[in-house]
This record gives sequence, C-alpha cells and structure tokens, in this order.
Amino acid sequence: MIASVSKSMTAGVRRSVVAAAVAATLVGGCASGDTGAAEVWDPIETPNRFVFAINRTIDMIAVRPLAVMYRDGVPEPAQKSVRNLLDNLGEPVTAINEVFQGDPSRAATTMARFLVNSTLGVAGLFDVATMLGMKRTKTDAGQTIGMWAAKGVEPENGGFYLVLPLTGPSNARDATGLMIDYAIDPFQILPIALNVDWIYYSAPRYALTVVDYRSRTMFALDDLEKNSVDYYAALRSAYTQNRAELIRAKREGTDTKSELERRDNIALVR
Amino acid sequence: MPLLACRRVVLGLAVGAAAAALSVLPASAADPAQLIQSTANEVIDIIKATPPGPARQAAIQRVLQTNFDLPYMGQQALGANWNKASEAERTRFLKAAESAEARAYSERFGQYGGQTLTIGKVTPRANGLFIVDSQLSQTSGQPIKLQWEVRDAGRGLRITDVKVEGVSMVMTRRSDFNSYIQSHGGSVEPLIAELEARAAR
Repeated sequence: MIASVSKSMTAGVRRSVVAAAVAATLVGGCASGDTGAAEVWDPIETPNRFVFAINRTIDMIAVRPLAVMYRDGVPEPAQKSVRNLLDNLGEPVTAINEVFQGDPSRAATTMARFLVNSTLGVAGLFDVATMLGMKRTKTDAGQTIGMWAAKGVEPENGGFYLVLPLTGPSNARDATGLMIDYAIDPFQILPIALNVDWIYYSAPRYALTVVDYRSRTMFALDDLEKNSVDYYAALRSAYTQNRAELIRAKREGTDTKSELERRDNIALVR
Repeated sequence: MPLLACRRVVLGLAVGAAAAALSVLPASAADPAQLIQSTANEVIDIIKATPPGPARQAAIQRVLQTNFDLPYMGQQALGANWNKASEAERTRFLKAAESAEARAYSERFGQYGGQTLTIGKVTPRANGLFIVDSQLSQTSGQPIKLQWEVRDAGRGLRITDVKVEGVSMVMTRRSDFNSYIQSHGGSVEPLIAELEARAAR
C-alpha cells in the first residue's frame, strides 16, 4: 500500500531521472529507458502555458506585426546588414563556447571572422569573412552543457521544459546556457563597465534581435501554429527536437549512433 | 485430362512466379534516394502547374497516397492512443489526418520559388529503415536540412517521416495529438472531430 503510493508519487520524478540516472548506469540504457517516444518532461506545464499565453498575446499585438513590417518594408540588403551586425556581436560568445566544446581551431576561425568583419566589414555590417572563405558557426552555452552531459543523457533531455517570458521555449539546460552566455558576453559586460546607458546600446540591440529573429522564424512558426491542434505541445516538441539535433551534431563521432538506434526504437514502438 | 490439369497447374505456377517476380523486382530495385528525388520532382511540378486551392490539394494528396506510408505514419502519430481507438475511429482518423496533411503541404508553398533538393547520403538501417539526407536550397538564405525516413512495409518503398532541421513531422504530430487527447478527456474522439472540422473548413 505505502509502497504503491510512494511508487505513484515518485512516478513523475522517476521518469525525469530515467534518462539521467538509470539509462546512464544501464548498458544500452537508451534501449530500455528512452525509446524516443516519450514526451518532453514538463512538470510545470500549467505556469508554462500561462507564460506561453502571455507571450503569444504580446507576439500577436506587437512583435509579429512589427516583424511583418520589417520583413516586407525594409529592403533586403538592410535586413542582411542588421543580421550581420547582430551575428558579429555574437561571435565572441560563440568563440568562447567553441573553446569549451574542445574545438579551439573553430574558435580561432570565429575570432578571425570577428576581427575581419569588425574592421573590413565596417563594424560587422558586411560579412567579408564568409567571402574570404571563413564559414560562420553559431553555438551557445546550452549546446556546450548538452555536449558534456553524462553519456547516457540524450540531447532530448535538457531538464524540465521552460517557457521564458518574451524569449519563449527553453528548458533547464538552455536557460542556464542563456545566463552563462549573457555573463560571458563582452558586449554585455563592456557597456556596463563603460557605464553606457542601456537605452543607447542594450535596448536597441535587444529590439533588433527580437525583430530579426521573429521575421526569420515567421514562416516556420505560422506553419506550426496553423497545422497543430495544440500549438503549445507542438512547439515544445519541435523546440526540443531542434535543440537535440544541434547538440547531436556537436557530439558527432562519439554517439551519433544512439540517434539512429533511437529511430530504430521509434519504428518499433507502436 | 490429368496431364492437362498438370500442365495448367505448371502454367499457373509459372505465371504466378512471373507476376511475383514482376511485383518484387521494382520494389527491391527502386532505391530510396530515387524515391525522394521523384517525390520532390512531383511536388515541384504540382506547385508550378496549379495555384493554391482544391486542385492542388487533391494533387498533393495523391502524391502523399502513392509515396508515403500514411497508415503507418498515422499510427505512429497516435502512439499509444492508437491501441485505444476502435477500428472505425482509426479509419476516420487516418482519413482526416491525410487531408489535413495534404492541405498543409499545398498551402506551405504559395508559389514555386526556385527551391532545389539535393540528395545526400543514404544510410540503411538493420530494421529495414533507410535514412536519406538531403538539402533544400533556396534562392535566398541558408539551405534547409531535410532528412527522410524510408521503409518497405510490403507495399514497396514508402516515406514514413520527414525531418526538417532535426524536427520530425511524425514526432511533432505525436506530441501535438497526444497533448490534445490528454486535455480532452483522454479519448481519440475529440481529436478526430477537430481534424474533421478543420478539413471541412
């Protein structure tokens, strides 16, 4: 009796720990614990849905219309330059993360890109580095954490799912990553150190980031919203899968096999 | 008479064998990459030829029916709820999901924008699954990474899933549908009703 009560109470907790602990200790744990068919762990779904609803309202009345105007009204080259500028500001964070991901040569390329674009590319407005053959890479601390997570932890498991105000879909792993990225970003530290009023730097950067990002995700998000019966759940799944894909690419060569095995499992689960 | 009967049996066997060989050969000879390429070409032709609307939707639906394993995908998308559904509910669900998917695809591309699909490597899996990598190049912007799951479940090679930048169509539907079912009393009926209502709209 007591055992069964405690069993049901711990059922939810257990599910979360399955990938993290059980699968890690079992050989071939992913076959027995995580079949890939499990839902995203979302213990705080009610507050998440609440924040999601607020985000959606703000998006509907302000962000999306602004992004539509930006997409359709601003000339393509100007949009490209804005994107280049924002990308360039993000390069140092990417470089730092690439060092921590154990890829110093890629980090060096990223830093070279940053130096070239900041100078020849007029403060990052033009992506000269790509023309010179230095390919852009983008990564973040969420991916770094995901990469170094314990062997049995599938990239799909980023801790509990979390909807951040204004920012949107996230999880424990990626939200932590976001804070780390913010803390190590020279272009967040410098303005504070130099006492630059946020209205001249942080606010415009944030606004541009939001509008640029929203205009780029418009097609995919509209599609997902229109073709889903539960948009929240569909986005939760899509976000988790997309992040897992990025992390899996980082782990490539070490355990890409597990992803293919996962798919075999999915094919077997009815 | 017995000789004739015997000859007829032999003839029958021979014809049967030939028919079997014919029906087996294309399936084993067809290769997954070719299936993806021809599907992509068919879709591009449809988008070029017909404007968005019922005609295009019907054409897309035919492509889905011939190149995709829709019953299998539907079953996957329902997950554990498939077992709870009655035979009639399954049939209705598959029909509603099929037209929903056809509509989504026909509306997804307004006009043909010069996209091209480049097929990459094909990875065969032990359980008869093929993973086909591909890239959708657009006229502007980054190419999109598409991965296809192809398998043969007795009806020749069929597509069973599409992954766009790592996001599986079937898995996303599965979460979507499951969440809807959970929040509507745990039965499949409300989901089917919703999908049917959307198809009628």
